[in-house]
Amino acid sequence: MILTGIVILPLIAGLLSLAVKSQPWLERLNLLTFGAVAVLAATLAGEVQVTGVVSGLNGFLYADALSALVAGLIAFVALVTGIYAIGYFREDERIQKVTVRQTRWYYRLTPFFVFAMLLVVLTNSLGVMWVAIEGTTLASVLLIAFYNEKTSIEAAWKYIIIGSLGISMALFGTIMTYYSAVGVLGTDASASGLNWSVLAAVGDKLNPRAMRLAFLFVLLGYGTKAGLVPMHTWKPDAYSEAPAPATALLGAGVINCAIYAIMRFSALGTACLGHGFVGNVLVAFGLGSVLLAAPFVLVQRNYRRLLAYSSIEHAGIMVAALGFGGQLGALGAVLHMTFHAVTKPLVFFCAGNVQQHFGTPYLRKITGVIHVLPWTGGLFLMVTLAITGVPPFSIFQSEFTILSAGLAANRGWATALFVVGVVTIFSGFLVHMSKLNLGTPRSEAPIKGESPWKLGAMVIVAVVIICLGFWLPAPLFQLIEAATKIVGGNP
Amino acid sequence: MNTITDTPDWAPRVITLLAAGMLVVQFLMVAQRMLITNVRLFAIQSLLLAGIAAVTAWSHDNPGVYFMAGLTLAGKVFALPWFVARLVRKIRIEKEMQPWINPPTAMLLCGGFTLLSYLVARPFATAETAGANTFGVSIALMLIGFFLMINRQQAVTQVLALLCAENGLFLAAISLTAHGMPLVVELGIFFDLFVAVMVLGILVYRIRATFASIDVERLNQLKG
Amino acid sequence: MKPDLLAIILQTALLLLLAPLVSGCIKNWKARLQTRRGPRITQPYYDLAKFLRKDMVISEHASWVFSAAPYVVFVTSLLVGLMVPMVTSQAPLSLFGGVLAIIGLLALGRFFLALGGLDPASTFGGMGSSREMTIAAMAEPALMLAIFTVAITAGSTDLSRMAADMQSPGWKLLNPAHLLAFIALFIVLLAETGRVPVDNPATHLELTMIHEAMLLEYSGRYLALLEWGSAIKQLVLMAILANIFLPTGLAADWSLPSLGLGLVLFLVKILGLSLAVVVVETANAKLRLFRVPDLLSAAFVLATLSLLSMFLFQ
Repeated sequence: MILTGIVILPLIAGLLSLAVKSQPWLERLNLLTFGAVAVLAATLAGEVQVTGVVSGLNGFLYADALSALVAGLIAFVALVTGIYAIGYFREDERIQKVTVRQTRWYYRLTPFFVFAMLLVVLTNSLGVMWVAIEGTTLASVLLIAFYNEKTSIEAAWKYIIIGSLGISMALFGTIMTYYSAVGVLGTDASASGLNWSVLAAVGDKLNPRAMRLAFLFVLLGYGTKAGLVPMHTWKPDAYSEAPAPATALLGAGVINCAIYAIMRFSALGTACLGHGFVGNVLVAFGLGSVLLAAPFVLVQRNYRRLLAYSSIEHAGIMVAALGFGGQLGALGAVLHMTFHAVTKPLVFFCAGNVQQHFGTPYLRKITGVIHVLPWTGGLFLMVTLAITGVPPFSIFQSEFTILSAGLAANRGWATALFVVGVVTIFSGFLVHMSKLNLGTPRSEAPIKGESPWKLGAMVIVAVVIICLGFWLPAPLFQLIEAATKIVGGNP
Repeated sequence: MNTITDTPDWAPRVITLLAAGMLVVQFLMVAQRMLITNVRLFAIQSLLLAGIAAVTAWSHDNPGVYFMAGLTLAGKVFALPWFVARLVRKIRIEKEMQPWINPPTAMLLCGGFTLLSYLVARPFATAETAGANTFGVSIALMLIGFFLMINRQQAVTQVLALLCAENGLFLAAISLTAHGMPLVVELGIFFDLFVAVMVLGILVYRIRATFASIDVERLNQLKG
Repeated sequence: MKPDLLAIILQTALLLLLAPLVSGCIKNWKARLQTRRGPRITQPYYDLAKFLRKDMVISEHASWVFSAAPYVVFVTSLLVGLMVPMVTSQAPLSLFGGVLAIIGLLALGRFFLALGGLDPASTFGGMGSSREMTIAAMAEPALMLAIFTVAITAGSTDLSRMAADMQSPGWKLLNPAHLLAFIALFIVLLAETGRVPVDNPATHLELTMIHEAMLLEYSGRYLALLEWGSAIKQLVLMAILANIFLPTGLAADWSLPSLGLGLVLFLVKILGLSLAVVVVETANAKLRLFRVPDLLSAAFVLATLSLLSMFLFQ
């Protein structure tokens, strides 16, 4: 019931919103839906702790600890983004950057977008998971092209073409997985051959040659959605052109879905092939992403593209953690996914605020944000420290776990390079953000009161970030532990 | 000459023939420059694909695959080509610009891709349930489709190339397992494909309106 | 010995008589498709008779090559024609090397034709010759690879053996390798016989000519031999295409009914191919010269694929 509810609610909301024309009602519909989804997700998490696995719709829907965790993260991101979006679009309409007609489409597309994301994590079948991930691509394309300028359309086109290209590769990997499943289970398993519940049980019996090919293609494919190098080229464009709320959903929602998919296949691959091949490939892509993002962060001139490279870095960190392997690696990956999903939205919100107020995404044109928009500037500085892994914020803990995992797996060089990359990005970020936020403001822009909606969302996220830095609530930690067992395979 | 269905292994032979036909059509798409003809070539390729699905369904006694064959026929042979052709007419651009790699070199490259895909598919040869090396053909279709996406500069051809790669994927699913993937997954993929083409159509129209051309080479402002 | 000599004479007669008919049919049907009336089917015969009657005007710069070329073209076309099974399953002549000899003879003929175009020192002739050589350079590998595909199945380069092997029961005809080879050979047929989309045989504009340009200086008897030789070459290539891939009806013995059946079926196949050529000619425009490599490389890649498929499509 809960599962069906979580998945159906956004779908119904989306369909309803197609009929609604007034913006206040659309805003209310969005908020209500995401609020309800958040509550249901929390309940789901509780139930999964008790019963281990929750099924729905005759086995079509399936939630174990990992699903529940990621579903909760998606719900959280959707809710805070929904709150922020209200303020953001009202401001956009005030400065006449968009019309009410355009804003309506944001509120209409977003529930479908969230529906697709939730379907990714809550379905049993890996095939339907693929369909849902492609669904997130399709639902978000028009969000990226939202402002309908030349650059937006270019970004949206690159997004959908590169995304579809990548995702076709993932489909090929899924087909290969299905083929090995049928090889093991026989033809009467034809309808359930792609179900996680079925595959996880027979993981070690799958055809190794097919699974090697499958895993490689799946990593290439879902890695494109996550933004791993070298399939990352769409990310800076898409993140900089989409409106800030959409960017938050992309960068803290879809990336989780993609990493979730990679985690599922990594578990299957490890069960079948042992950790050597899978680990090497994951570490290669993950480390490559971190190392490539570093120089781009240093020379970046556009702060919204800067955030995209940060997203690439974090995707790389999560994948490298999976590659390091073992219980520590899995724990690091799950922790990082959780903390990243909680921290990232605030970064995008602050950047969105800055862009709305100053009207330009270029770093050299803006200084002294903290004097003009005190809350935004302050929170921006704080979240920069949080997202780059400075203690006592939570990301430091997850990165530390990942480092330990790397050393435990005897990958000394990889770990060293990892540290180099992360530190470089940290310094780059610090330089850019301090120049942006501190100093004397350039123009005589009046000190504006910030919209309560936007500020409210930002403060909520900030509070969560600060809390998580010091205290990980026990139920959440139990959920994370259970999820780690699924990702890392039972020892 | 023997009557067709009397030969014991007629089904794999017909499937192999149809798969070779699909490959030939794909090569023609690489060499061809007129947009409308490319759309028709895609329709022909999908027709051959539906034929393969139908023959597999007959020889393996799988009613579900008949449904997929019918869906391919209705969707990929009629509906999608009609939609893309309408788009081409709306944006009123007839021909392709000069691609990155000229057709002769592109053809040789695609021949190389075909060889590569045969080599990759070799280990799975014994597992084929439909025709010989149809899996190799499907990988070749995928690779050539991806190559087409990179090589061509027109937005509509990129869409068509994506659809051809999807054809290859469907063929891979059918060739490896006699019944393709679970029905719900196949339906989902189909639905995704339709929505994707619609969304791409919207985008192409917007590109045309904003850039006054659908040469994706003009989409080069965002860098770094 | 006797049947051999008889076979040679009969096949030569068939070649000489049928070749102009095929050209005439193609011209007439092309006109019909374009809703014109077109010349009568037997027109080429009248044309040949007219040329044979007329005087020749030869440029003062021409050398013996100019005079030799028509004979070489004519004789090589005939020789090649004798090596291809047309009505009977055993071709009358089988030189060492089979299909390789065929390709070599065709190349010899083309070589002399090109020289003959250059010899009288006219600009258009030279232009035609260079274009012809370019196209040949690309068409020939495709031709060879496609024929080798069939040769490998048959285990011999002798065309008669290939035809016989294709007749044996099984799915030889619908083997994808043969399908690809057939398409490649069809494109090569278009190139070698100078048909649209490679070359327009009916053009009067010298700048667009390829084959016609080389014949521009010829007149009278020489022109008759050259036209006849080209027509025979066209017939021979069509016969190769028809009888190697669809060898039904080839007479296995010399009895009258089987010969008659063989002849009828041969005519049906040749006319069917002619119809296909006519449709292709009408549906397409002539390619610009630098686009012709695109088409021929397509043929080459198809031929390569067909050869590879022999091994890979087990």
